Amino acid sequence: MRFVVRRLGFFLATLWAAVTLNFVIPRLMPGNAAIAMMARYKGRINPEAMHALEIAFGVNNHQSFLAAYFTYLGNIARGRFGTSLTFFPDAVTHEVLQALPWTLGLVGLTTILAFVVGTFIGLVSAWRRGGMLDGVLPPIFVITSAFPYFWLALLAIWLFSIELGWLPANGGYGIKTEEAWSWTFAGDVLEHSILPAVTILVTAIGGWILTMRNNTISVLAEDYVRMARAKGLKPWRIMWTYAGRNAILPNLTGFAMSLGFVVSGAILVEFVFNYPGVGWMFLQSVENQDYALMQGLFLLITVAVLLAILAADVATVILDPRTRDRS
Amino acid sequence: MTVTSGAVAAGAPGPGGFEHVVAETRRGFGRDLVRAVARNRKAMAGVVLLAFFLVLTLFPGEIAPHDPMASIFQPGLGPSREHWLGTTSYGQDILSQLIWGTRQSVIIAFAVGGLATAIAVLVGVSAGYLGGASDGFLSLVTDVILVIPIFPLIIVITAYEKSSGLTTLVIVLGALGWSYGARQLRAQTLSLRTRDFLEAARVRGERRSYVILYEILPTMTSLIVASFLGAAVFAVLFAAGLQFIGLGDPNAQSWGTMLYWAENNEALGAGMPLWAIAPGVCVALLGAAFALLNYAFDEISNPALRLRRLDRPPDVEPRDAAASGEPPDPDRVLQVRGLSVAYTSDEGAVVAVDNVDLDLGRGEFLAVVGESGCGKSTLVYAIARLLGPPFSGEIIGGQIMFQGRDMVTLAERQLRHVRWREFSVVMQSAMNALNPVLTIAAQMRDACKAHSTMSDREIEERSREVLRLVSIDPIHLHSYPHQLSGGMRQRAMIAMALLFTPDLVIMDEPTSALDVVAQRSLMMQIKELQQRLGFAVVFVTHDMSLVSHFSDRLLVMYAGQVAEFGDTRRVFDTPRHPYTRALLEAFPSIRGPKTHLLGIPGSPPDLARPPSGCRFSPRCPVARPTCHATPPRLVEVESDLVRCVLYDDAALQRDPVAAES
Repeated sequence: MRFVVRRLGFFLATLWAAVTLNFVIPRLMPGNAAIAMMARYKGRINPEAMHALEIAFGVNNHQSFLAAYFTYLGNIARGRFGTSLTFFPDAVTHEVLQALPWTLGLVGLTTILAFVVGTFIGLVSAWRRGGMLDGVLPPIFVITSAFPYFWLALLAIWLFSIELGWLPANGGYGIKTEEAWSWTFAGDVLEHSILPAVTILVTAIGGWILTMRNNTISVLAEDYVRMARAKGLKPWRIMWTYAGRNAILPNLTGFAMSLGFVVSGAILVEFVFNYPGVGWMFLQSVENQDYALMQGLFLLITVAVLLAILAADVATVILDPRTRDRS
Repeated sequence: MTVTSGAVAAGAPGPGGFEHVVAETRRGFGRDLVRAVARNRKAMAGVVLLAFFLVLTLFPGEIAPHDPMASIFQPGLGPSREHWLGTTSYGQDILSQLIWGTRQSVIIAFAVGGLATAIAVLVGVSAGYLGGASDGFLSLVTDVILVIPIFPLIIVITAYEKSSGLTTLVIVLGALGWSYGARQLRAQTLSLRTRDFLEAARVRGERRSYVILYEILPTMTSLIVASFLGAAVFAVLFAAGLQFIGLGDPNAQSWGTMLYWAENNEALGAGMPLWAIAPGVCVALLGAAFALLNYAFDEISNPALRLRRLDRPPDVEPRDAAASGEPPDPDRVLQVRGLSVAYTSDEGAVVAVDNVDLDLGRGEFLAVVGESGCGKSTLVYAIARLLGPPFSGEIIGGQIMFQGRDMVTLAERQLRHVRWREFSVVMQSAMNALNPVLTIAAQMRDACKAHSTMSDREIEERSREVLRLVSIDPIHLHSYPHQLSGGMRQRAMIAMALLFTPDLVIMDEPTSALDVVAQRSLMMQIKELQQRLGFAVVFVTHDMSLVSHFSDRLLVMYAGQVAEFGDTRRVFDTPRHPYTRALLEAFPSIRGPKTHLLGIPGSPPDLARPPSGCRFSPRCPVARPTCHATPPRLVEVESDLVRCVLYDDAALQRDPVAAES
C-alpha cells in the first residue's frame, strides 16, 4: 500500500511540476513574446477566453501572482488550455486530440518495439557471450545510440526518398489519398511510417541492447542460474525464465525512466518528416509563437510519459512477485 | 540518449555490481584506471576521438583552411582539392565551418557534463547519506526531473527567450540533465551507508562533510565519471537538436547551426549532401566518443562484464595414475582422479584444485572440510560440471568417473540428461539459489519437465511428496521463495534435489546460512533421508564439528590439495596431518573436556603464489627445513591418505633431521 501511495504522490508531483513550469516560465522570461502573441488574439476571441490567456501568460493582468496561479490551476483542471492561434478558432484540446493518434501509432509503437527487440538482442548476446552476435551488435549500437535522431532522419530521407525514390519523404499519408477507413489509406499510412519508424528504432534500440546485456551478464553469475544449469534444464529455458525474467526487471525501471529522452528524440523525427503528430505540431506552435498550443502539448507529452511509466509499473508488478507483497 | 548499465543500480531488486567497484576504488583506483583504459580497445577509441576533437577545439584557426563565415567562394560546390567538403549555398567553405563548429559542441559537452555532475553528486550523495525526509524530498525532485520530457521543456524555455546564447543553453541543460546520475549516486551512497569503513568514521566522530568528501566520494569515482560522460552525450545531442530546429543563435558557429542552414537550403536535395552529412557525423562521433568511454568504463569498473578465458592452461604435474584406464568400480558412485581446476586472474592462471583424487561408495557420506579459499567449493562444482563461463574456473586435467562415465569429457547435451536424475546439487544460500520470480512449484515443475514425461498432476503430487519428506507443509508449494523463512527455503531446496531420488547429492555448505539450532535439525534430517533413500552425499563445510557425527569419510583440503583423506572417526580420534589437528583444535567439542581453543595462526596461501615445499609449512607448528623446500607426496597410511613428510618413510630417510625425531 505504501508503495502505491508513494507512486501516486510521484505522479501528482510530476503533473504539478509540469503545470507550474508552464505557468512560471512565461513570467520569468523578460521578453515581449507573450505580449506580441496576445496582440494577435485581440478582437478575435471573447473577453472571457482572453482573460484566461492573460492569466496563463501573465500579460495585462492585475491579479497577484498567487491568485493568478490558482485561477490558472483551476482552468487546467477543467481542461481549459486556451485557444490555438495556429488553428484559430479551435480550442487547443481539439487540435491536440487530432495529432495524438499519429504520435501514439508511430512513436508509441516504435518505442515499445525498440524496447522489446533491444531487450531480446541484449539477452541473447549476453547469453552467447563472445559469440558472433555479441561481437558485432553491441559495439555498433554504442555508436548508433550516439546518433542524433533528426540527423539519421535526414540521411534516411536523402537516401531512400531523394536518391532511391523508394519511400515517401514526408507527411503521414499522401496528399492525394483520402483520409478514410480504407485499405488504401491504411497502406498509405504504413508506407509513410516506415522511414520515421526505422529511424526511431535504430537510434533507440542501442540503449536497450546495452543495458539488457549488462544486466544479463550480472544475472548469469547468480546462484539461481547456476542451479538451473545443475537441474539440467534446456539452455533456452534457462536463458528465458531464469536469466531473462530477472534481468529485465531493472530494465523496466530504466525503460520508464528514460521515456522522457525517447520522446524528445521522436519529436525531432516527426519534425523532419513533417509527420502530423504531436511533436510536429509542438514545433509548429513554437515557430508560430502559439504559446497556448505549445503549453498544452507540453502537458500532454508529460502525461503520456507518465502513463507509459504506469504501464511499466504494472508490468513490473506482474513480472516480479516481490513487488506484489511490498504494495 | 544512452542508458548505461547503471539502471541495474537504479532498480532496487537488481543484481548489484558495485561490490567490485567499492573493493577496487578502495585500493587506489586512479593508477589502475589509466592502465585499464590503455588495455581496453573501446576506451582507447573513445580517448583518441576525444583528443582529436580537443585539438580542433583548441586550434581551429591554425587547422581550418578558410574563414568559416566568409561568403567568398562559388556557392554549392562539390568536394574538390580546394574545398574538401564543398561549399554552402552562401559560398562558405564547409570544412572550415565544421572545424570552427567543434568548439561549441565540446564546450557544451564539458560545461554541461561538469555542471550536471556537480548537481548530481550534491543531490544524490546528500539524499543517500541524510536519508529520512530529506531523502524522500530529494528523490522525488530527482524522479520528477528525470521524467519530465526535458527536450520539450527546453524548447518551451527557449521559445520565450529566442536569442538564448551559449550560457543560457549550458545552464538549462545542466540544470535538467543531472537526474539520471543523481539516482545512481543515491543508490550507491545508500548501499555504502552501513559499510564498516563509514561506521568507523562515524565512531571516530568525523564531521559529515569529512565523511562525504574523503570517505564516500572516492569510492564513487566510476559512477561520477559515468554520470559526467552520460550528461556530456546528452548535452551534445540536445544542443545540436535545438540548434537544428532554429532555437539557437542562427549566427553561431556550431554543428547544429550548420545543420539548420543545410536543412533550410535543402542541401541534401540540392547537391550539397556533405553540408548536412558532415556536421551530423561530427555530432555522432563526439557523442560516440563519450558513449564508448562510458561503455568501456562500465566494463572496467565492473569486472563481471569482462570476459575472461584461460589463455594457456598452467602447467600441472602430470599424474601417472590419472586416466590410466583403471576400470570403474561398480561399488563406487564417484571416482575422481587427478582433478585440477584453474581460474584466470589479473596475475595469470591460478590453480585452485590441484590433482585431487577421491572415491565415494554408494550411499556414503563424504565431508569435504577446510578453511575458506581452500578449493572445497571449486572441487564440488567441478565434479558437478558447473564451472565455465560466466565463472572463470576451468577443469584443466583429470577424470571424474560418475556411474561409469567420465563427466569431464561428457558434452553439455548428454550431461543434461544425467543432471538432477542421477545427481543433484544443494547450494549454500537458497535465497540466492531459488529463482525469485518463480514459485517453488514452478521451479520443481521445470526440473520434472526437463527429465520426465510426468503429467502436471503427477508433478504436483511428487512435489508435495518431497516437501513432506523435508517436513514442509505442502501448502507452501505455491509460495514464492521470499515468502518462506530461511530454514524453509533451505529445506525446499533439498526437497527439490530429491525429486528424482538421485544417487548423489552434492551439498555446498547447505546449513551455513542458518542458526545453530536449525543447523542441527537440518543435519539430522539430511542424515535420516540419506539413510532412508540411500543416496551418496558430498558435503562441503568449513565447520568440522558439524559433520563429525554424520559423515562416513572426511576429506581435508588445504590450498587446493588433499591434506588428509580417511575414515571420519579415525580422523577425529587420531588426526595425522598437522593442518587437520589445527582445524580440530579450533572447534569446541560439545561433550568433551574443557580445553583451550586454538586458532590457526596466519591464513591460507594466495594460490597465485603458493609457497614452495609443503603449502602448509609457513603455518605448520612442526615444520622442518625440508618442508619448506620439497613438496610432500600424498602417502597411504593404513588405507587412508595424508600429505605430510612425517608419514613418508622414503622422504624421511633422505632427510636425516626428520628421521631422528
